[in-house]
Amino acid sequence: MKKHFLLVAALVLVAAMLVGCTSEKSSLLDKIQKDKKVIVGTSADYPPYEFIDEAGNKTGFDIELMEEIAKRMGVELEWVDMPFDSLVAAVNSGKLDMSISCFNYDEERDKTVDFSEAYYTTEDAFVVNSTFTGTIVNPEDVANYKVGVQSGTVQDSWLTDNLVTPGLLPEANLSRYERVDQAALDLANNRIEVLMADYVPVQALVAQNPDLQVVFHAELSTGPINIVLPDGDAELKAEVDRIIKELQAEGFIDQLAVKYFSE
Amino acid sequence: MNFGQFISYIASGTVYTVGVTLVALPSGLLIGTILALLYVYGGKTAARLMNLYSTIFRGVPPIVLLFILFFAVSKGINLSAFWAGSFSLGIVSSAYQMEIVRGALLSVSGDQLMAARAIGLSRLQAIRYVVLPQAIRLAIPPWSNEAAIIIKDSSLVYALGVPEILRRAQLIGASSQKYLLAYLSAAVIYFLLVFATSHLLSLLEKRLAIPSNP
Repeated sequence: MKKHFLLVAALVLVAAMLVGCTSEKSSLLDKIQKDKKVIVGTSADYPPYEFIDEAGNKTGFDIELMEEIAKRMGVELEWVDMPFDSLVAAVNSGKLDMSISCFNYDEERDKTVDFSEAYYTTEDAFVVNSTFTGTIVNPEDVANYKVGVQSGTVQDSWLTDNLVTPGLLPEANLSRYERVDQAALDLANNRIEVLMADYVPVQALVAQNPDLQVVFHAELSTGPINIVLPDGDAELKAEVDRIIKELQAEGFIDQLAVKYFSE
Repeated sequence: MNFGQFISYIASGTVYTVGVTLVALPSGLLIGTILALLYVYGGKTAARLMNLYSTIFRGVPPIVLLFILFFAVSKGINLSAFWAGSFSLGIVSSAYQMEIVRGALLSVSGDQLMAARAIGLSRLQAIRYVVLPQAIRLAIPPWSNEAAIIIKDSSLVYALGVPEILRRAQLIGASSQKYLLAYLSAAVIYFLLVFATSHLLSLLEKRLAIPSNP
């Protein structure tokens, strides 16, 4: 009897999952407009793109941009904070309508989710401690040092594809951190020699840690940043792209960049 | 941001930490106790199934189960991050709590069950009134260990975006660059929670102690 029960329970579970999968075919845009609410994920630990202010509220370049996008969609914005690694999975499984968290385009990510039009372009930077005596002229030079990077980022992919896989950088010399500030902490403590990360947030990091300095910056792995959208939802993508282009044409995004990156 | 705001921002995550614990621990206890009774008194087939259950859920890291429940299973059943996290921890904990209760049940001498039957109690009555009350007392010390583990494991739900203590320490650490202070504050809050729980349970243990049984 008990075995039967388990079998039935398992079948019910599988059926429920299948129902869940098929019912998501229609565009999310209809649901968002019907509920008058868009659920957006972000990892609010990445200043100046997304972080919390003194009152504990989310703020930053991405946050303000998304608030404007929601306003122009005519819907309310519900923020969900989640660690960066969980965001793509959450959009993919329908937990979030979309996610804005300084996402660069990435082939691996593109297999499971879609990307909006780029709303901004970023660069990569190499950061070292003031005790660093080596030289980095070409980006490949970092292969001679102990390197740190935030795991799952495009910088991680760049280091893995260009340095680790060809055998230039031993796997043991690449430390992957959950967040970029953990890597910065290890850099300050000399556990790693070079940190590769996004140029803009790194400037904020360096400003707060006098021991650290940027020795090289260029567009290597990064480039345009986009909003992550559910896979294959053309209607939703068209709406978000339309608003991004509108905001670019109006100069809204440039103003935000000046406000948060002082460029 | 002053120190008071800093601490209170992290400390307000305690609601979620306690919430997750209050779902996971009692649901684990309920399931664990039922399964332990089935394991010990339910015959060979039940024992084998329970053994399988315990092996599987003690063998899976809680965070893996958390991701399965939140990202895969709850596609059909819409579970929030809080409930998906709490249930996953409850399921993992039920396997451990089953072993705790099973150990306690087996520690009560089998002769007592026989003696209870001899004075006319049914098997169910004998378990309910003779074995179980003694077993519960024996289970409290290892159970307070499990309670401490669940309080600390509740921090895993941060991965699903539940704003509990650890996640709040990360967020405020990132915005203020005071990581050491943020994580130390989190550590102190967890310690106080675990300390208070252990203390309460040891009081309960003393209160429930059978006077003639040192």
